[in-house]
Amino acid sequence: MSIELISILVLFVSFFALLAYGVPVAYSIGVSTLGTMLLNIVALPAVTTVAQRMTTGIDSFALLAIPFFVLAGELMNRAGIAGRLIDFAKSLVGSLPGGLAYVNVVAAMLFGAISGSAVAAASAIGSVMTDRMEEEGYPRAFSASVNITASTTGLLIPPSNVLIVYALASGGAASVAALFIAGYVPGFLVGLALILVAAFIARKRDFPPGERVAISKLVKDFGRAALSLLMLVIIVGGIVAGVFTATEAAAVAIAYAAGLGFAYGTIKVKDLPSVLLESAKTTAVVMFLIATSMAMSWLFSFESIPQLMTTFLLETVSHPIAIFLLINLTLLVVGTFMDMTPAVLIFTPIFLPVVTSLGMDPVHFGIIMVLNLCIGLCTPPVGTILFVGAGVAKISVADVIKPLLPFVVAMVVVLLLITFLPQLSLWLPGVFGL
Amino acid sequence: MRKLYDRLLVWLEYALVVIFALMVVDVLWQVFSRYVIGQSSSFTEEFARFALIWLTLLGAAYLNGRRAHLTMDFLTRKLSPEDLKKRKKAIAWFMFFFALIVMVIGGGNLVYTTLRLGQVSPAIGVPLGIVYAVVPISGLLVCFFTGMQTQGHGSTQTGLSHNPSA
Repeated sequence: MSIELISILVLFVSFFALLAYGVPVAYSIGVSTLGTMLLNIVALPAVTTVAQRMTTGIDSFALLAIPFFVLAGELMNRAGIAGRLIDFAKSLVGSLPGGLAYVNVVAAMLFGAISGSAVAAASAIGSVMTDRMEEEGYPRAFSASVNITASTTGLLIPPSNVLIVYALASGGAASVAALFIAGYVPGFLVGLALILVAAFIARKRDFPPGERVAISKLVKDFGRAALSLLMLVIIVGGIVAGVFTATEAAAVAIAYAAGLGFAYGTIKVKDLPSVLLESAKTTAVVMFLIATSMAMSWLFSFESIPQLMTTFLLETVSHPIAIFLLINLTLLVVGTFMDMTPAVLIFTPIFLPVVTSLGMDPVHFGIIMVLNLCIGLCTPPVGTILFVGAGVAKISVADVIKPLLPFVVAMVVVLLLITFLPQLSLWLPGVFGL
Repeated sequence: MRKLYDRLLVWLEYALVVIFALMVVDVLWQVFSRYVIGQSSSFTEEFARFALIWLTLLGAAYLNGRRAHLTMDFLTRKLSPEDLKKRKKAIAWFMFFFALIVMVIGGGNLVYTTLRLGQVSPAIGVPLGIVYAVVPISGLLVCFFTGMQTQGHGSTQTGLSHNPSA
């Protein structure tokens, strides 16, 4: 066996073994990278290279958007926008048969987009909607299923930190602005697919339509939600118009969210240190993962793993459609047990060269990857949103699995559409010339 | 030692809050100065980048103290409390050695090399070795926290099993 193959074997086997053993993901990445490098390079240069890659890998102004969006999302959450968004969604779609299910989808999409966090969306929207839906005769497990799957759409609809992580992992092949704009259509398609499934089930089980609302109420509820929604316009509009970078937009979003919280009276100056600390913790988790992953991706290119993978897949599978399906399948499996950020950081450098050599746009692949891994967030054994969603609905995870299934199938269908119809992802960025 | 463990965590909390706040103010100032005063400096951008490095590495050490790094715990959840305790000590050893070898020794060598080469940041003019010093500093902190954990000390809080970026 060649030294490259042995290295690759050592790297992956030790990584997955450490992960399963319970070593934190960032350290699993770091330790397996270190071990593999010591096989190849003399000790002191090897350990210095790892330390250097970890440091210079995160030395990037673009990455600052991550802590900033985390903080802005945390502030928006504490400002208490969930109730306003739910009221707005209710007067928008609540009067249709099965209306409250659509309200949940729309509210989770809006909240997910604004807060940038699917976890926050699932808990903020789910904790209100499950009870309201139960009062009108919806089973809790059904409401939880809607809420869990809908909450992931916020990861596709900008701003989205995982898309920033992907932009970094792609080595600059995909820009943050293009990825943000590309996320809209797929994100809305997932929402639409979930609404269709909910509508089908609502019709079959005779869920009640909500009350019809007067236009004046719709206008009033829109007015109450308008300032929350305006943040999306400022961020995305500012980035697309080239007024500011994603990082600067995120900083402006912090000022905006804090101002909104002060104006609503829900955030006080003395709350700020605890908000900052919470956001710093989340930031450190993500950024330290990025740091050790940067060392690992350096090792990937040192061992020419992406080239080996490309040659291997092109020679053994050869047909593009089969390769796209195989990559999707791999990511679906990975997504069931690995969280989104590490999965993006590890598998982007491996798969991106393969798909680009087949003519796929890096922006398109980013959207495929994120949507794919969103499905993994809803499935056991590691399904963050599944656990949070079941938790706030106060039901067991096992009880949600069955009602969840049709919604997850709908997401897989959208994933296939997105994979084989590149225009769904690339048309909108094209319109804006990104 | 136990007291030092808790005190270090509190100091780190202060440091994280201050660095984060400075970072936000710095970038807001950058936007403001470009659009309102009409001049941009590369100073603010460089400062924000360095602050992020410090926030990340000090934050990582803090997470070690609180046992709050992202962990896939679906296999270890099934262990008996006795086995889990042993397992956690073994895991702490892995992190201890990674921090010692990569962050303290490798990071120390990185600081030494950049200082000796006299590399200075272009805008602020600070020696890069000082910016990178956070690597061995955080490494020592991780060694302390995980070292205490191998001896059964430390916060009992368990690992964060969900993805905060989701």
